Amino acid sequence: MHNLDRARQAWTIARIELRRAFVSRRAFWVYGLALLPSLIFLGGSLQARLRESRLSAGGLTPAPLVDGLREGQAPAEVLERLGRPVYDRQWVTSRRVRDASERDGVTRHPIQPAVEARYVRLNILQPAYGSDRTARIYEFEVYGDGPENLALGRPATSSPPCSAGEGPEKAFNGSVAGGPTDRWCSRGGRPYLQVDLGAAREVRRVVIRHAGAGGEPEELNTRLFSVQTSADNRLFTTVVEGTGARLVDEITAHRALTYFDGRREARLEFADGALASTDIRPLRDFEGDRTIFAGVFQYFYLRLAVFFGCLGIFMNLFRGEMLDRTLHCWLLAPARRGVLLAGKYGAGLIASTVIFAGGALLCLLVLLWTHDPAEVEAYWRGSGMAHAFWYALAAALGCVGYGSVFLAAGLLVRNPILPAAVLLGWEAIHPFLPRVLQKLSVLHYLQSLCPVPAPPGRDLPALLQLLLAPAEPASRAGSILGLLLLTALVLGIARRAIGRLEISYGTES
Amino acid sequence: MTGPEVILDEVSKFYGEVLGVNRVSLAIPPGITSLVGPNGSGKTTLLNLMTGLILPDSGSVLMRGISPRDPERLMRITGYATQYDAAPRRATGHGFLTAGLLLYGYGRSQAEEMAWNALGRLGLEEAAHRRMESYSKGMRQRVRLAQAIAHEPDLLLLDEPLNGLDPLVRAATIELFRSWAAQGRHVILSSHVLREVDLVSDRVILIANGMVVAEGKIRDVREEIREQPCQYIVRCEDASRLAARLFGGSHVVEVRLLEDRTGLRVLTRDRERFARALGCMALEGERIESVIPADENTDALYEYLIGAGR
Repeated sequence: MHNLDRARQAWTIARIELRRAFVSRRAFWVYGLALLPSLIFLGGSLQARLRESRLSAGGLTPAPLVDGLREGQAPAEVLERLGRPVYDRQWVTSRRVRDASERDGVTRHPIQPAVEARYVRLNILQPAYGSDRTARIYEFEVYGDGPENLALGRPATSSPPCSAGEGPEKAFNGSVAGGPTDRWCSRGGRPYLQVDLGAAREVRRVVIRHAGAGGEPEELNTRLFSVQTSADNRLFTTVVEGTGARLVDEITAHRALTYFDGRREARLEFADGALASTDIRPLRDFEGDRTIFAGVFQYFYLRLAVFFGCLGIFMNLFRGEMLDRTLHCWLLAPARRGVLLAGKYGAGLIASTVIFAGGALLCLLVLLWTHDPAEVEAYWRGSGMAHAFWYALAAALGCVGYGSVFLAAGLLVRNPILPAAVLLGWEAIHPFLPRVLQKLSVLHYLQSLCPVPAPPGRDLPALLQLLLAPAEPASRAGSILGLLLLTALVLGIARRAIGRLEISYGTES
Repeated sequence: MTGPEVILDEVSKFYGEVLGVNRVSLAIPPGITSLVGPNGSGKTTLLNLMTGLILPDSGSVLMRGISPRDPERLMRITGYATQYDAAPRRATGHGFLTAGLLLYGYGRSQAEEMAWNALGRLGLEEAAHRRMESYSKGMRQRVRLAQAIAHEPDLLLLDEPLNGLDPLVRAATIELFRSWAAQGRHVILSSHVLREVDLVSDRVILIANGMVVAEGKIRDVREEIREQPCQYIVRCEDASRLAARLFGGSHVVEVRLLEDRTGLRVLTRDRERFARALGCMALEGERIESVIPADENTDALYEYLIGAGR
């Protein structure tokens, strides 16, 4: 039999196998992988078109006006310059914060109008902010018109104190420096603290030094209290209701104006009446999209889609027939095992190349369709056609390389997950390997063929960036040659394996 | 050693620890040869070894002078209908055969015609353009036969070819084998029922546990099996009286009283006569509780090969 006849025989096998390679029940997901980038770019493009039509409906703003904005400008000023915006949104945000002036744990309470009183009483309604039920007051000061503390050293009474050393007199001794022994403390029921000024005096204000003033956590400051006065120690009048550390709402008014200059969308955000940020971005960024495509192609398409696609297609060529129990039909054909291998590999290669080189080109087409025809035409005249060629070639050569590997794996092992995991790991770590071993990676060669360097993922963790970093690129001719040599080596291994292949479908008699 | 014989020389094949066939040596001349043995005895293994679907661990195989390691030459003169009941999805019978024939280098129109002829010989014209998934088991069996003969091979290997065929088709198929063999070709088929093939075959090879038990013309083989004595344990009321009566029969080689004296161990050369004799004694009033074959292997083989066809 002549070699030409054998080649013809291999081609016959490939033609018969094309159906299995293109439509296998076990590998329909391959199409999903190949079409995913196109679908994503198509979605992005449709979204941009929709957004454009919405923004255009609101009227266009001349580009120079959009560019001439300064931070701090008021909305009215901007509206006057740029006219009616496409969108005008206003909203407020509120945040509950503790009043900064109360940080020292001292609260001051004016009493207006001033009252005549001999007895002044402090009722603790909620002792603290947390779950603590103990009232703590370091000093309770009562003032008339002058600076003199009318309550200082005066006789005092209270609800039962926590201990003998924490009695009511500690709140009128003029000192807070002694720590927990220098305070009045009481727990349970309704704690109160009362002082007798000796005679009816004019009371204009009170000052309360809470737990924070004595160096304790400010959560222990009295949360809610009232001050009452009485002339006869029988009838008391509430003159103050207060909190130990006030909580206040901090309110910010926001406003966002959106303008469109026909190409770029400008989003101006104001906070409390001043321009705080401007976000001007083109609705469609051709160059940016091409960079994204380069990234998607290298990081997703070559590393994952082509990889797993070839796994699906090529593993199935032999392993699938063993599962279907039809492999013996081929071994009973009057063909050398090597010819059978060549035929099956050819079928897988045709299918995977059509699917994945086609998928890459389709994605590029979708990308071009999105953008301004003039821009696209300029790109196409320049480097576009070469880019398309190299992307398609890289995808096709990916099929050549990964296809041979998975064809061999399908002959050598039963479970496809193991070789896939090992190979995926190998491809990921190849940049760290010695140079000789780098040459044994399919990805090593493919990355050198990509026409546009993939953008470095700056947002990624350092370790991941290292893993994604391409190894030192080789020349294109060298890459193609290297990949073909690697493929030949792997196919040689596959040839040996198919020579030893035996039919064993499981239980047999 | 390039004569038109099929020669197996000390061929062994192990599946891991499990024995497939053990040191099988055969020289099969043209004509119809049947490999007969129970399920699991190694028939399929032998056929697969002859066609290179599996490779021997030791020994060598030569098929009319060609090694199974050279499928390019061997398969031109070999057709093998396997037992594997699977067909490529979506293929029609005609498409399946045509695709196979294209690999022989025939042009498409010639391949299609040859496929038609082969299907016609097995009465499958009507189903030729239906998908094989819809075929009955017997039809799939016939498609495999058609595929095996489509390229007019000198060596026709058939694994249980009569399984699943109705009597009419079975007779026609057997006639096909006869006409094939009459042209000086090899027809090697396997069966687990001796009665099924003994009338057809020129030679029979009996296989059990991966070894050739007996080989030769069918009559010789039949005698060889028949003459293998086998043991039974007979439980009865009066063991010594029964022993005395059994000794009268010429087919009985040996009778031994069991230790507990409630039964006998009988070695007989002819189980049918032994069974008849026991039946007569039972009718005459001898109380026999049970008859159990004691020598399982020989008996199982006998029952399997001779009995299953009844």
